This record gives sequence, structure tokens and C-alpha cells, in this order.
Amino acid sequence: MPKLIIDEREITVPEGTKVIDAAERMGIMIPRFCYHPALGAVGACRVCAVNCLDGPIKGIQMSCMIDAQDGMKVSTTDAEAVDFRKHVIEWLMLHHPHDCPVCDEGGHCLLQDLTVSGGHGVRRFQGPKRTHTDQHLGPLVRHEMNRCIQCYRCVRYYQEFTGYEDLGVMQIGSRVYYGRYRPGTLESPFSGNLIDICPTGVYTDKPSRYRGRRWDFERRPAVCLHCALGCHVTVSARYREVVRQEARFSESINGHFICDRGRYGFPYVNLPQRPRSARVDGTETGWEAALKTAGERLESVAWKTGPQGIAVVGSARCGLETQGMLKRVADAKGWQGPVLDIDPAAANVRTAVSRLDSDLQVSLREIETADCIVVVSADPLNEAPMLAPALRQARRNGARVTVIDPRPASLPFQFDHFPVAPDDLAAAMAILIRKCAEKEPLSELGKTAVRSIEAVSDGADIPDADGLAALYDDLHNSRRPVIVCGTHTAPPEIPGMAADLALLLRIAGPRAGLFYVMPGPNSFGAALLSDPAPSFGDLVSAIEKGEIKALVVAESDLFGSGIDWDRLRNAMNKLELLVTLDYIDSPTTRAAHILIPTLTSYETPSLLINNEGRVQQSPAAFRGGDPIARTGGGDHPPRAFRRDIPGREMGAAWTALLTLGGRDPGSAPVNLTAWLGEAHPALTSLPEASDFPPDGVRLPLAENAVERFQTDRFSHGEKEEDALTLLVVDRTFGTEELSSLSSILKELTPSPFIHIHPEDAAELGLSEGDAVGIDSEAGTTVLPINLTPEMARGVLVIPRRRDLDDRLPQERRTVLSKTAIRKATEDA
Amino acid sequence: MAETTDTAYPQVLFANRKLDRIAAIDDYRKNGGYEAIETVLKTFSPKDVQKLIQDSNLLGRGGAAFPAGMKLQTVADDAPFPRYIVCNADEMEPGTFKDRVLLHADPHLLIEGMLIDAYSARAEKGIVFIRPEYENAARILEREVAIAEKAGFLGKNILGSDFNFSIDVHRSGGRYICGEVTAQLNALEGKRPNPRKPPPYPTEFGLWGKPTVTQNVETLCCMPPILRNGAQWFKDLALTETGAGTKLYGISGRVKKPGCFELPMGVRLSEIIDEHAGGMAEGSEFKACLPGGASTRYLTREHYDIPMDFESLKAVGMRLGTAAIMVFDQSDCMVGVTHNLMEFFARESCGWCTPCREGIPYIKDILWRIENGLGEERFVPMLERECRHLWNAYCAFAPGAAAPLEGLLNDFQDEVLDHIREKKCPFKASV
Amino acid sequence: MLPTNVKQMLNQQIQAAEHPRELAIDIMMAVQDHYGYLSDEALEEAAAIVGVDPLKLEELATFYTFLYREPVGRYVIHICDSVICWMNGYESLRDHLCKKLGIQMGETTPDGLFTLLPVCCIGYCDRSPAMLINKKAYGPLTPAKIDEILETLRAEAAETTPS
Repeated sequence: MPKLIIDEREITVPEGTKVIDAAERMGIMIPRFCYHPALGAVGACRVCAVNCLDGPIKGIQMSCMIDAQDGMKVSTTDAEAVDFRKHVIEWLMLHHPHDCPVCDEGGHCLLQDLTVSGGHGVRRFQGPKRTHTDQHLGPLVRHEMNRCIQCYRCVRYYQEFTGYEDLGVMQIGSRVYYGRYRPGTLESPFSGNLIDICPTGVYTDKPSRYRGRRWDFERRPAVCLHCALGCHVTVSARYREVVRQEARFSESINGHFICDRGRYGFPYVNLPQRPRSARVDGTETGWEAALKTAGERLESVAWKTGPQGIAVVGSARCGLETQGMLKRVADAKGWQGPVLDIDPAAANVRTAVSRLDSDLQVSLREIETADCIVVVSADPLNEAPMLAPALRQARRNGARVTVIDPRPASLPFQFDHFPVAPDDLAAAMAILIRKCAEKEPLSELGKTAVRSIEAVSDGADIPDADGLAALYDDLHNSRRPVIVCGTHTAPPEIPGMAADLALLLRIAGPRAGLFYVMPGPNSFGAALLSDPAPSFGDLVSAIEKGEIKALVVAESDLFGSGIDWDRLRNAMNKLELLVTLDYIDSPTTRAAHILIPTLTSYETPSLLINNEGRVQQSPAAFRGGDPIARTGGGDHPPRAFRRDIPGREMGAAWTALLTLGGRDPGSAPVNLTAWLGEAHPALTSLPEASDFPPDGVRLPLAENAVERFQTDRFSHGEKEEDALTLLVVDRTFGTEELSSLSSILKELTPSPFIHIHPEDAAELGLSEGDAVGIDSEAGTTVLPINLTPEMARGVLVIPRRRDLDDRLPQERRTVLSKTAIRKATEDA
Repeated sequence: MAETTDTAYPQVLFANRKLDRIAAIDDYRKNGGYEAIETVLKTFSPKDVQKLIQDSNLLGRGGAAFPAGMKLQTVADDAPFPRYIVCNADEMEPGTFKDRVLLHADPHLLIEGMLIDAYSARAEKGIVFIRPEYENAARILEREVAIAEKAGFLGKNILGSDFNFSIDVHRSGGRYICGEVTAQLNALEGKRPNPRKPPPYPTEFGLWGKPTVTQNVETLCCMPPILRNGAQWFKDLALTETGAGTKLYGISGRVKKPGCFELPMGVRLSEIIDEHAGGMAEGSEFKACLPGGASTRYLTREHYDIPMDFESLKAVGMRLGTAAIMVFDQSDCMVGVTHNLMEFFARESCGWCTPCREGIPYIKDILWRIENGLGEERFVPMLERECRHLWNAYCAFAPGAAAPLEGLLNDFQDEVLDHIREKKCPFKASV
Repeated sequence: MLPTNVKQMLNQQIQAAEHPRELAIDIMMAVQDHYGYLSDEALEEAAAIVGVDPLKLEELATFYTFLYREPVGRYVIHICDSVICWMNGYESLRDHLCKKLGIQMGETTPDGLFTLLPVCCIGYCDRSPAMLINKKAYGPLTPAKIDEILETLRAEAAETTPS
């Protein structure tokens, strides 16, 4: 632990700390352009100069390039250092255009700030300014190369950190140019971070161009809703709209960056078709009135059928407040449910939640320090995008990353892929688990796990069984292995087997971790707060049988449940009453008898539990209401003054549920935190809103390994001959519910197609360029094929586009007879 | 060719130099060529070679004057394999052409030098990094490497030993920065040739992450004679106490006989100009010279008799650099000369760090204004400030560029002020 | 498209290399020799041979002096403008060449024969003023010598170009 003096104050820092970071720990922010904690030091910009007055290194030094050492005496205020730093600014301003009034970076521009703080104001250079041609980089990022100060951050971030190769650095000397080989949309789904990382306005946010200065915005922290990772964002709202989002640092989750789905998924908040007025039987009414009517009608159904004739449904995008309230109301009223997760993956999530314990759980950032990672039945880039860069950092640190999944996996780094068919995934896991059991003198509990997989085929017949056995050796020899397990399309035994493997590895030696990938931002909460039965399927059957007559649906689109749309429509037609509370326009809101609009998580605080079991608070960013773009003619607040906010006559879903549950809106405020504690023991000690730590709190999960091995036995049906498994899978853009409504991301959503292994295609008589027709419950879907050798045999993979859901089979995993797949003719 | 070898001084590097042709392997062997490597392989350990070179006080001839033996010694005994030897033939310092002459004179001297260097670093692969302007030399080298291989001096089990060594010629795409050792490693790896900041040093983490020893052509060529004749002999070749060996002095500009001359280290500048280069050109009076390429300060009349070795120049705040002497006379405008040098540095800056990328074109612009009658008095302190701050650049490129500018401001400030006062270049005939 | 034999030879070089990227410059030079300059097509072919994204080669091609990303003539004349050549009359020789060829620096003669480009010190200060034509050095130059060189090259071009 070196001890040094910076500006006459002593500090002791860990070995390997850069002087620039040591100073920052003391609250001394040494200027920097090229240095970034996530990207490391390269010493290019030279603006972090300090003077080393004494010690092992002397003279003007770049504080990012030197490690803190014993006996160093560093001055950041030394006249020579200050003069040099000021001069660096002058150099960088030689060619920087004075277009700050029309630059979206203006006001939060590092170059602007340092120019002012450095005291540079008068231009002495009389030469011409260098100019560049800008490139079109797609719908998200705007390119303005004239502003560039050549700090190399963008290219280091893009190529080194996230592993994409289509943005680079060209030319030489003062002509250095950052861009693509040809103009075109950036390929990285993390490209938006260029906007955050650029210290000036070379890369700016295209969708929010010219929409306002930073200080015009209501800027608040928020938690991203577009997958289960719970990355941190900063929201900028103006004129009652969300305008822009940026990455917000999180030590435990996303570090400095977010994905483009998270950054640009927000427009659902601003959409004109967003429900903003309550409706009863198609007629607009006030919010309170609609709630009152809903309450009366529910009472009437209950009077006729008994309380069990009413069921309540939520979703994985509901905050804990809403999920908890659904449970409280259902319990109090004797209604059925709640069903809190209607996603087909709900059962897998439930297994995952029951198997995570405090010993095993790892955060997203901790994955970066793993040295051997097995990803099973998950597709990081598409299901939880920020997992991909985390895995890449692990790879850069030397980790082996292996994916066991039938899909054509793509990750921005070198990894091993076992394209195992869904039916063989359990066998593949069984190989790893058995190998562990063979090698280790297992205690009784290990034997339990091995017994539980006896029902699974021995795996000898799956492709590359030897490779998997060798993978076990790597796992065993690693220091910090992590098993990443998906839930979206995983066969039901996989999440449990992943936990078994992690636990067995712990017994075998390495400090194994477990990381589940889940579909929704609060899938975890839904699993925690609801019971396995009834499932949403059970509810639909009960509706079909006439046992359930009324449904209360909070922030949930039933048409994403994996149940065939025709069946669902028929069932809903049988309902006497459908009360829908939501902030998006969906088939479910459109079918509602009573529609109660609700506030988004941008407008009301909400608690969410991410996939790791971390409860986070997403405070309200602004107060909601009709966007001024709609009410004020576009560009300026109307000058008619009123006390209330137009279009804000709504509340959070949980407050509406409270009313539906019979509580008088005027009664004393409820203690939600206490109520959540009553709903589940793990939630008893949640901090109060004002005390919530920035990275949330990890739930206290049981550490009781003995009882935690999987005991269910899974029996596999005989493999059907001449059958193919059809997987309908997530993709980065276009699948996740809320971001699929984003106008910004539309351009990045590819047209639908189907992946098929070339050998399967050959057997079916298909070749590149063909389209196939697939018969399923949904009817016939015709899609072009994409011959993909890097995938499992016997599998068809359709990347799901939610806006085309009605044309696709609803099940995420279906077995199709080969006869159901045929080459589509011209007229099809 | 303009060069001649009519000198009384011992010719070590140019021993086999013919005026009309390249020394063939037989010419080389006739004069004891490849004897050194034979002896080394039979009787020397790698450490012995390192020590001998260290004792000979051979300083790097590429411009930085780093002790060649010490560089070899920084390859740790347990450093990983493969290890690489890189011969830096990317001679791009303006005014410098000695390596070109040497490569055309006696290619086998270099090959044997690389063999000795490689043996002492236990490297099995050698690469000659050569600038594209020297395509002819590259072809000669490729041809002679093949001949040496046929003769058993390169390849596997050289001369019956267990030492293997091969040489590849790598042609650069052409940029001054590629001569910088770490930038050269990036260039060799097919990356943009920006310099890398040590640590780690190339001798521990160099080409492809493996230990790599880079030496200049002339440095390597000194090794066979040292091995043959001993360290003391080499030291005794120099005229000065601190110097060692002979040196190739390239001289150009306002002299009668520009050329490259092998002279003892420490020979006086006056002797080089007056005797070897045939004196100043007709009507020329010595005004100043750059003693060792574009990255050195101007040497003025007062130092006309200075011994041209590393230490003597250092003592007066100068650098010997590549010993490429560029001579200027009374008709040369030092503002114009310096502007031309800045044009060179600005064009060749790799663009990695701010001082170099922005500072040098800034200086160039100011000098252009002064030279073209647009100068202002305030430009002088501005230039002084630029100069001072160039020293804080990432690599030695910008400090190199600062050297002639410092010289201009220190030794020729009157000339600069004359430009500014007269609002024109006093050396240009008025129209 | 590169002729099959050229492509094959380059592919073999890459396959034999321990680190294919170390041949990036050689491959680009070879492809450039074939096309005369590194057109987009040429650069993309070179990238395919090296096995990298075209951008990776563009990052290099735009860095180096002797890789031409724009069309050049059959003879690329690089006139040295560094200090020794500059004081030995670079400017008047340059003007002479421009006049003789009827083009400015950076341009190519309409017959596609000559391109004029500046270059930094080429290491021929002892034979200054000097220039480089297709990597061959000429110096010391005088206007008369330049005329002679141009004539020789014109004749050579006429001889080797099928009419």
C-alpha cells in the first residue's frame, strides 16, 4: 500500500492505483480526456499532467500513466503543470469549431468545461481550421468529426471494450479520423455509449438532437426495464416527455455502460396511443369514476360467482409495489391468483429463484472477474445484452467462455460453442455433473444431485461429449467459475441442474458462482410473491370452463403469455369483466371493459428485483402528464396557467389496486415497505426509499445447500423421429415488450427469418434463398430461411419480433413434425 | 557514387566496401567475415558475447546511443521464447543515409552482426525492418540472406551448433514514426504504428508479446569486428576517451563532397568538413549545422572544432543523434530551414498525443508567417512556450522536433526578429 | 478481381505466416502493384486475404505514405522536400516537373502516366536534390536530368503498353 503526498496531503492507496485515481480519492479531480476508468490509461491527451516534486519519478508526468509509489510528492497546482495543461487545452481548441450553440454536447461537454476551468479564452492560432466529412452512423448516433480532439476513447471503447470492429481510427497526424470503413449503421448494440464516452460532441444522441440543454431537462436516476439485469440509467425528461437516456455508473451491475435497447427503449412513455384517460365500455370517464365503476362491477361478479370467480394478473414488468398489492388484494378479497408472471419462462424463473442462494449469487460486474464461464441455454447478446460485454471483460482477463445452447450464438469475443439441441441440454449438463461426482468424494448431498439426473440420458450420444468432459476439467481447475443459465427457452430441468453443478463445484473446490438470465425486469419479484399455482394457463382453462368471470390485469399484456391468440381471444370473450390497468396500448388494453391508465416507472417510484436478487429503487424522473408536444402545439408550454398537470389524472397501478381492493382513497397512507415485508420474509428489511443504497440491496437468500439439490426427476419422452424443435427466441431489438414499441429502434429491428442448419435444410430439400411455410396453431407462417451451420441439428430458430407475434407460434419451444415444414411456393 | 574511401583512418565497417559493387559473400569471407560467429558458436556463451559488447562500450548508432550490450542484458535469463531480433533499417531521420550506404556496401556484415546479436539473446528469428524507399537494399538483403543460408550461416544448426537463426526482411509502408522502437513493433504486428509506452520494455514484452531486441544497422555491423578483435581494440578506435569504435558520418548540404565517411568516433567537426567532405562549397561560409539529423539542435560556428562523439556533444547541450551532419551557410535562412523541418515533423507525426499532433503544426504555422512577412513580436514567446511544452509529449518525436526550434530561438533569434521587423525574409531577394 | 495465381500466392503467404497480420502491408503492396492503387475493391480483397475486416486495413492504408487509396499514375514521382533537397533547389525542380507534366502536386497526368507527390527525406541527401519514382531513387537532379528521366520513362511505357 504505497503512501504518497498529493498537494501536501498524505494518502495511502492500494498497490497499482494510478496517481490520477489516487487524487480523485482525495477529491482532487485532475483534468482528463483520454483516461477513463473502464478503458485504462493510454497517455494520449496529456491534459492530466502533474509535477512530481520528489520521489522515485520527477518532473512533469501524466498522472494517468504513473502508479502511486511510496515517497511520491505530487503537485497538481504547480505552475508548470498548470501552464502545460492550459496549453493542452489551447492545442485542442485550435481546430475545435465554435459551434457550441448548436452542439448537443454544449452544457455537459468536458472540453467546454476544461476550456473554461483552464482559463483558455483567447484564440492566438491564426491558421485555418482542419475540417472532416462526417459519416452516417445509423439512427442512434450522430457524427461530427470536426469537433474531435483525438482522445481515442471511442475506438478504444468500441474495439477493445466491447469487441466490435466497424468503428476505427484512420489517417495520420492531425488528420486522424474516427469512423467506419463506409458510412452506415453501427453494428454494435452498445453504440450509444459512444455518446456518453466522447468528451466532446463528436458523437451525440441523434433522436434527441436539438431538444434541449442538459439543464433544461429533469434529470433523474432510474433503473432500466428492458431486461432483468437492472442496469442504471439517467433519464432526461422535458415538457412531460422522456427525451434521452444515458448510462449511469453502477459498481455492481453495468459499470459505466448500457446497451442500446436500454438507452432507446423509452419512447413507450411518450407515445400518442398511450392510454391516458380511463375508459368504461369505450367511453372516457374520470380515473376515480372508472375505478369506482370497476369496484362495483367486481363486487357484482363476486356476489354472483363468489370471490373465486375473479382472478388477478400482473407481470414481470410490474414494480414490487404493484406485485405486492396484487397479492394483498387477492388475498384479502379471496380472488384467485395473483398470477404475477405470465411469461412462458415463469416456471423456470421460479426454479431459478428457489435455487439462488447468497453463496452462489454473483453480480454482473463480478462476472468480469470469473476465469471459466459456462453459459447454458442462454443467449447473452439477445436476452440480456449487457451480459455480453461483461463476459468479454472476463475473456480479456483470460477466462474461457463456453456456450451450451442450440442457437447460433454470437458474442463479440472468442468463445467455445456446443450447439446442443434442446432435448440434449439436460444430457450435456449431466455430463458435467457426473464428471464432477466421479472426480470428487462427494458427500451425501452430492449424491442426491447425481441421483436426480439418473433419469436423464447418459449423454454419450450427444455431439462432442468428450469436449464437454474436457470442459469440466477446466471448470474444476478454475479459481472462480460461473455458471450462467438462461430461463427463456430452457427445458424445465436446466435451471436446477445449473445450480446443482455450481454447488457441486463448490464442494469440489472452486468458488463457483451462479447467474440466471431472466426475461423481465421484475421476474424475480414475481416468482417471490406468487405461488406456482394457479399459472396463467390454469386461469385460462378456468375462464374457458366458466369458473372465472372477471379478470383484473395490471400492467400485463396477456397476448405475450405464449398462449395461442385465438384461444385467448375466445376465453376473453367469455369474461363478464376485464379490468386492465396499464400504460401501454396493447391487445389487452384494447379488449378491456374498463381501462385504467397507470403511471410508468419514470413517473412513479418503483422497486424491482433484478436477476441476481438485488432489490433496486427506480425513483420517479418526472411527474407525468400529457406531453406538451400534444397539448401545447409542439414547442412551448401553453401560457394558460392551471394548478394541475394535464393528463396526469392517474396514479400508480398499485394505488388503483388499493382502491379496487376497497380501500377509501382518503384514508391514511399505507406503509408499503411494511406490507412487502408481510408479503415475503425476504423483503422484511428493505430500506426506506430515502435510504436506498445506490446499488440496491441483495436479498438475504437462504444458504442451505443441503436441501437445495434438485430432487425432481425429469423423464424425457422418447425423441420423436422426423421431428424438429422450433424455438422462438429473443433478439436484442424487437422482442422485449416495452422497447419493441420504440420508434427509435424500429430501424434496427431486422425483418423476420428462420435459422436452419444446412444439413437439416438439405434433408428438407431447402436451399439458401428459399422460404418455408410452417404450420402451427397460429396458422401458417412463411419465412425466408437463413442457413446457419453454427447451430444445433434438428432445431429451427425464429428470432421473435413482437409486432409480428400474431403470425408466429406462441410457444417458445414446440416440436414440429417435419411434415409441418415445407418449401413455400411463390403464391404463398 | 560521390563517396570515396581515401582516408588514413582504419576502415572497419567499410572494410569491404567497393566503389563499383556490393561486397559478395566471398569478399566478406576473404577479410575474415563469418569467423566471428564461428568462434562465438564454438567458444562463447551468450553471456560472454553480451559482456564483450558491453565492455566495448558500443552505443546504439540509431540516434539514442543506448549501450548495445546493456540492451542485450535486459533480456532476462528465464524470459520466454521465441525471442526476436529486429534490425532497425528504417532510416528516416532527415539527413541520414549511412545505413543505406552500409547495406549497399557489405550486407553480410549485417547478417553476421544479427547472428551474433541473436546468439547472445538466444533468439531464433531476425527481422530487418526496412523503409520502402530502400527497396533496392531490401532486395539485396533478401538475396544475400538466401546466399548466407545456402552457405550454412543461417538456418538450422548453424555451423554444426544447436543454434538456429533465420532472417526475414519486412518492408514498411513508409512513415518516420516506424523508426521508433515500440512503434516499429506495432507496425510489424500489422497494427497502427503508434508508439507504446514502456514498461514493459520490448526486451521483456516486445514483438507478439515476446522478448525483442531492436538494434540499428550500424550497431549490428559493429558486432562482428568487436568479436573478432576484442573490446579494447574497439574502444581504441575512437579518438576520444569516452568514445568507442568508428562512426559513419553522413554529411550533406553546403559542402564540396557530400557523402558518408567512416571515421574514428570523436573526430572533429572541422576535420570532417574541411578534409573529408572537401571543405565548404564554393562561396560558402559555415553558419551552422545539424550534427545528427533533424532532431538535434543547430551547432554553430563556436563549436566548429568540437569532437563529434556522444559525450562531447552532450557536454555542450547537443546530441550526436545519427551523426548525419547537414551544413548550412550564410545564404541559408534559418527560419526557412526550421520551417522545413517542422513541415517534416508535422507530416510525419503519428497523431497519438496532443503536443505532437497539434503543437508541431502550430509551430509550423507561426514560422510560415514569420518567413512570409506576417510575423509579430509576440510570436517569439509563443514559440518558446510551444518548445517547452513539446517536451511533455508521449514519445521522443516531439522533443526531437523541439530541438532545432530551440536552436533557432537561442542561436538565431536575431534572424527571427529581423524577419519580423522587416516584414519579409531577409534572405530572399526582393522582387 | 485479382488473377487466381496472384491470389493463390498471397493466400499461401498468409497460410505460411505465423501471424497473418504481420503481412498486412506486404499483401496490400502486392494487391496495389496489381491494381496500380488500393481501390476499395483492392483493399477489400486484401482484407479477405489477410482475414480481417476492411476497416483494419483501412486503418493502416491511410497511415502509410506508399499505400495509395486514390488512383495514381503508372509512375509515381515522389519529390523529396526535406531540408537538404529543399535547400538544394527542391522548389524550382518541383515547379519544373509541374510545368513539364502540366499538373500540380498531388495530380496525375491525363494520360495516366505520372503522379506527382511530395515525400519526406528519402535518405539520398548525398545525391540531393533527389526524387523517387516507383521506389527507385534519382539524384542529384537538374532540370535537364529530369527531362531525360521523363523521356526514358515515356519511351519505356510506350514500349511495354500494347497499343
